[in-house]
Amino acid sequence: MMEMIYGQIGGAVAHFPIFAVISLFLGAFLTALVGKRRALLRRGIVFVSSLVSLVLVILMIPPVMSEGWIITYWMGGWEPVGQWAIGIGLEADALSLFFALIVTAAVFTAALYSFPYMAQDSQPENYYTLYLMLAGSLLGLVLSGDLFNIFVMIEIMTMTAVALTAFRVDYDGALEGAIKYMIVGSIGSSAVLVGIAILYSQLHTLNLAQLALRLPEANSPATAAAFAFLFVGFGSKAFLFPFHPLAADAHAVAPASISMIISGVITKCGVYGIIRLCYVLWQNMSLPAVSTAVTLIGAVSCFICVTMAFNQHNFKRLLAFHSISQIGYVIAAVGLGSFFGLEAGLFHAMNHTIFKGLLFLAAGAVQHAAGTLDLDRLGGLARKMPRTFLLFLIGAAAISGLPPFNGFASKWMIYQSVFEKAEESGNPVFILVLVLCLLSSVLTLASFVKVTQSVFFGPCRPEYAELRDVSAAMRVPMWILATLCVITGLFPGAVRNILLAPAAAAAGNPAAYIDAVFGVGTAAGAHIPEAAKASETLIGCWEPLSWLWLLLTVTCAVCFVMVLGGRPFGRTVQADDAEERRQASEKLFAGLPDPKYESFFSGEKAEFSHVGGSDLFWGFKYSLRRYFSYMRRWHSGNVNDYTRYGIAALAFMLAFAVLCL
Amino acid sequence: MILINYIAAFALIALGFYCMAVKKNLIKICIGMGIADYGANLLIVSVGFHDGGTAPIFTIGELTRASFFVDPVPQALTLTSIVIGACTTAMTLSLIIRLKEKYGTLNSDEIRRLRG
Repeated sequence: MMEMIYGQIGGAVAHFPIFAVISLFLGAFLTALVGKRRALLRRGIVFVSSLVSLVLVILMIPPVMSEGWIITYWMGGWEPVGQWAIGIGLEADALSLFFALIVTAAVFTAALYSFPYMAQDSQPENYYTLYLMLAGSLLGLVLSGDLFNIFVMIEIMTMTAVALTAFRVDYDGALEGAIKYMIVGSIGSSAVLVGIAILYSQLHTLNLAQLALRLPEANSPATAAAFAFLFVGFGSKAFLFPFHPLAADAHAVAPASISMIISGVITKCGVYGIIRLCYVLWQNMSLPAVSTAVTLIGAVSCFICVTMAFNQHNFKRLLAFHSISQIGYVIAAVGLGSFFGLEAGLFHAMNHTIFKGLLFLAAGAVQHAAGTLDLDRLGGLARKMPRTFLLFLIGAAAISGLPPFNGFASKWMIYQSVFEKAEESGNPVFILVLVLCLLSSVLTLASFVKVTQSVFFGPCRPEYAELRDVSAAMRVPMWILATLCVITGLFPGAVRNILLAPAAAAAGNPAAYIDAVFGVGTAAGAHIPEAAKASETLIGCWEPLSWLWLLLTVTCAVCFVMVLGGRPFGRTVQADDAEERRQASEKLFAGLPDPKYESFFSGEKAEFSHVGGSDLFWGFKYSLRRYFSYMRRWHSGNVNDYTRYGIAALAFMLAFAVLCL
Repeated sequence: MILINYIAAFALIALGFYCMAVKKNLIKICIGMGIADYGANLLIVSVGFHDGGTAPIFTIGELTRASFFVDPVPQALTLTSIVIGACTTAMTLSLIIRLKEKYGTLNSDEIRRLRG
């Protein structure tokens, strides 16, 4: 085996990408060999193989991220000859490595969680084999330097993800979610394959660097169509609008560890594909048409999914819709085409893996302990599962964008980048995008208030009287993620310097990607410009002074409302007698027209009246009932309908690409 | 002559997608997935076709500047893609068998507990 390296870097580092991928696939093979018995050995194999790939990826960070090397590796030593790269290559630049880090970290954490979580399930050997194959395909996808190899990895990923979605076959809806994922997902896979075929017919190569070298000059309707096919293919793997119903069905029924991988990592691989496609291969993100379209797709996914989440009664289904909503943020930021926007998108992608992983694992813990995910049947678990509740709160605060957690920092960056883009381009679409993003953030907070209320607050139901918090083994992975939430939230500057800036610079610099394969100067010969390094300063999200202003503003607002409202919200009503209490509450709420409000202000009559999650925002939902009932009908659950949306998206993108590119 | 391959390939893909979007029976949807996949395979293998080319099988020494053969890469791709297609079909059918046991129907209109 031989390696070719950009510059002089040599030694073992050049082999790290392939070993990181092989470690996971080898682990899958060994797990299958171990068989049903010997659970400890099996866990050992899973632990070691996922740890090895994580360590190898971390070891690649100093040379690739800090020193700017690009590691290329040719399978079987088939190096490119005279600008023709026929062999299959792995190419790890900072962008690939950034996503590889997300993949391996999430895989390791979810594996740790799986050990206690899946302990009661039958056929653990199948679970771990599929799990490691899924992990290997994800890592192979982001590290691959070959388009067809990416397709193969996508197929392994889809197949194993479907199998794992249906792993708990007897769980209600597991098979249904899996088959919908399979059928609608196959549209995406076919689209990628057709895109590859068209591209090969035009350029006779599948190597990403060679494609990047030759695509800008080979612009034709055929390559535009290939772009549309590949974009829809990767978009469907990221579950972007209109593929989002799929995600909701699949996430909600999969085991929690798999939900974390599907939502945290598989969607990120779709995002990676879109970034690679638009920034490195076609280099067309600077075109206003592409930029506007991608941003708009992101913003629409973001808004529609958050409103759908608002309406859900299943804990994990709600989280699933939120996860696509957050991916919408990422795509909206990535689509801006600015260096800062890309940084913001990457940061949010990373943060989403962390906090959504945490939330899914917390939901899994609730399901493990209480046996249900139905928001209308849960309640009062904060007293029974205080540790899980604390972890859930950290995740919920992070996804809602509350400081000091990581969601705040990345959403702040996204708003700033959209704002700058709107100002710079003067395009009203970006103002709309900004408004949609802000609205979605508010709705995210609202729906997490709803989840917290209906799962953790209120009186504890009698059937959960004997409930115990989950074991420490299950909480350790959650604590890892919660700690990451806080660390990345407190030090966004450091994260930006170490990870985001190199990754965004690599995405914006296709010339280096090409030169790493074909030698220095190749890209310059083909007139592919070196990217100018942009550096911007954040509008001080971690400046203490702005925090103080925020605190003062909020305090003033609260005081203002309390003075104007004139209602003694903080006072408790001392009444022993039921009749007395009723009178007191009547006096207290004399101005309120509807007794339905009483439970909101603890004036409830029944001892066990829990404000259900679906009641919390009933006024809002009632005012927008037309929209909500329309959306309900639209997400019909029929696989034919979802297929139609997918095909419509494909047709739309084809028309768009051929007309606008 | 090669044009008809391209037309047929896209016709097959369109037919497969149509099948998936319109047919209610899950088995027929699975067949539609297969047809779309065959269309893609036909497209790839047509892409590498050269009129009058021989099969791209040579031993060392046989290969000269004058040899004229079809592009071997798309054939390798097609082979891979056929294998993947077979896996997809097998996987879908196995899911359909379990679905039939559980839901008692193959009608996609009735398999919609997850919605809204």
